Amino acid sequence: MAVIIGTLYWLLRERGYEWTLPEHLPRPSVPADNPMSAAKVALGRRLFYDTRLSVNNTNSCGSCHQQALAFTDGRPRAVGATGQLHPRASMSLVNVAYLSRLTWANPLLEHLEDQALTPMFGDNPIEMGMGGREHLLVDLLRSDAAYKAALPAVFPDDEDPFSVLNAVRAIAAFVRSIVSFDSPYDRYVAGDLNALSVSAERGMQLFFSERLECFHCHGGFNFTDSTTHENTRVDSVGFHNTGLYNLDGSGAYPTENTGLYDMTGERRDMGRFRAPTLRNIELTAPYMHDGSVATLEDVIAHYERGGRLISDGPYAGDGRLNPFKSEFIRGFELSADERHDLLSFLHALTDTSLVQDPALSDPFAAP
Amino acid sequence: MIARAVATGLAALLAACGEPPVQVQIPFIAVLDGMPMACDAGGEAALTDLRFYVYDVQLRDTAGADRKLELRADNDWQQVNLALLDLETGAGRCVNGTAKLNNALVGTVAAGDYRGLSFTLGVPFAQNHGDPLRAAPPLGDAAMHWHWRGGYKFLRAGFVTVDDGFWIHLGSTGCEGTLQDISGCSAPNRVTVQLHDFVPGRDVVVVDLGALVSGAELDDATATDCSSGPAEEYCVTAFRALGLDHASGMTSGVQSLFSSRTSP
Repeated sequence: MAVIIGTLYWLLRERGYEWTLPEHLPRPSVPADNPMSAAKVALGRRLFYDTRLSVNNTNSCGSCHQQALAFTDGRPRAVGATGQLHPRASMSLVNVAYLSRLTWANPLLEHLEDQALTPMFGDNPIEMGMGGREHLLVDLLRSDAAYKAALPAVFPDDEDPFSVLNAVRAIAAFVRSIVSFDSPYDRYVAGDLNALSVSAERGMQLFFSERLECFHCHGGFNFTDSTTHENTRVDSVGFHNTGLYNLDGSGAYPTENTGLYDMTGERRDMGRFRAPTLRNIELTAPYMHDGSVATLEDVIAHYERGGRLISDGPYAGDGRLNPFKSEFIRGFELSADERHDLLSFLHALTDTSLVQDPALSDPFAAP
Repeated sequence: MIARAVATGLAALLAACGEPPVQVQIPFIAVLDGMPMACDAGGEAALTDLRFYVYDVQLRDTAGADRKLELRADNDWQQVNLALLDLETGAGRCVNGTAKLNNALVGTVAAGDYRGLSFTLGVPFAQNHGDPLRAAPPLGDAAMHWHWRGGYKFLRAGFVTVDDGFWIHLGSTGCEGTLQDISGCSAPNRVTVQLHDFVPGRDVVVVDLGALVSGAELDDATATDCSSGPAEEYCVTAFRALGLDHASGMTSGVQSLFSSRTSP
């Protein structure tokens, strides 16, 4: 059995990796020390869905990043392997290969290989809970028949391929393979003018208008301003305060979620979070960094008002008046029809082939 | 030929220094408000974690000169200038700990009479922002790396009492650049420790976690914490105990977490 698996991985290794992309799109940039290969992606897929990568064998990466929900989990805030509530919502992994920075508000995290260490080993909050248990991961890689066969085939130049580093590289390669460019919007851009309904077409005009300003932060082919790719020359990174909170009238966000401020200590960074991609946004409710906005309709209402008013409770305050709010969140008025059109456009960003792609599915799931 | 040259050089060195360097062991113990504390303490207070990095360890001779304690590199806890101390055993309340214990620095120093110990709590900048998965021990420990802050946890410590508790993760914050290519950190948060009365061979270094919450009003029934962040209320007292200015991360006073006492 192990020989067969090993041979399969060996054959896949001989195949490079090619993303399925529309012709006009550049490929993602890939770190020089972790080139893509079909075998590495296959290995990474298995590791991504393996619950033995968590402290109590309950959670895999796929627990918080579920394919059916465009690799989110449907919760307002994520829950780790030991039940600890994360301050933030699980982000979609779709097209993260094209992100210049990862997670909600971390200017330091550029590569998936670095980012993966936080959920695996972090302890505040505990996600996978493997901090201090690296040896257990290595034991798993050495003992599981599939890993035992795959790792030497995927990393043939390594004297000892059974390392956490190589597991992380493989997971990163798999996550880099999760790309989505097959929505009705993409087909429309490719020339199929019937791919969008008339309503969605009108919604698109609204989305890209100076009146609504959506595209300033959610712009470009990946609908976020933190985009990079193989031809990028300038580091493009955007963090934005969207007026969700204003606890003290001087701009404060809840202490467990101050955004970029927590990283830099600079007051002007209060409440600044990275704009997520809007691709498959229909599937990734609830919304915002803390899941505090339930539906897309509510999201639109938030931006119409130009900030959120919370009238009572511990988070009371008028986010519209947050002094650190992005200059693009100015508010606008929509008719009921326009609101419907905008929603139609957002729904046209849903890529159903992504959520059904067997290459991205859980290999441990019963058929 | 080479062996002879080395032997000759060594002999010359020894002659120059008079005496060969001596081995020194510097033990550390954990206490809470002066009382010994352990992970599985049956009493009211228990340790939940206590691990930290130190570097630039020096002993002061009676003439007032600082002599470097060269740590014994062991490919586990110590490099020649950096060590990880681990005073938790993974037992009892130390649920995320490890069974392995490392409660002393071991190294060599020029022979002499010493009174006074100094070290820095932290990891040197040059080593603080590399890839932990490729780092040599003791920097390969994933529990000590602070992936989302871009460096190491210099100190991870905590305790619980009957009705409350506290934990801290100390490390550099406000780092700029990207992971593995960090250009600097606005709050370095390295702690300078000087124990003027410490006599090697006679004394132990006491780590009193009570100092971190001295003067703070802890929330009952929950473990309050400090992750070195700018908005964190409980970092204020903890940083004061570390002799750090919370805003700048620079030394602003004398730390009170570490002290020395005669070995029991």
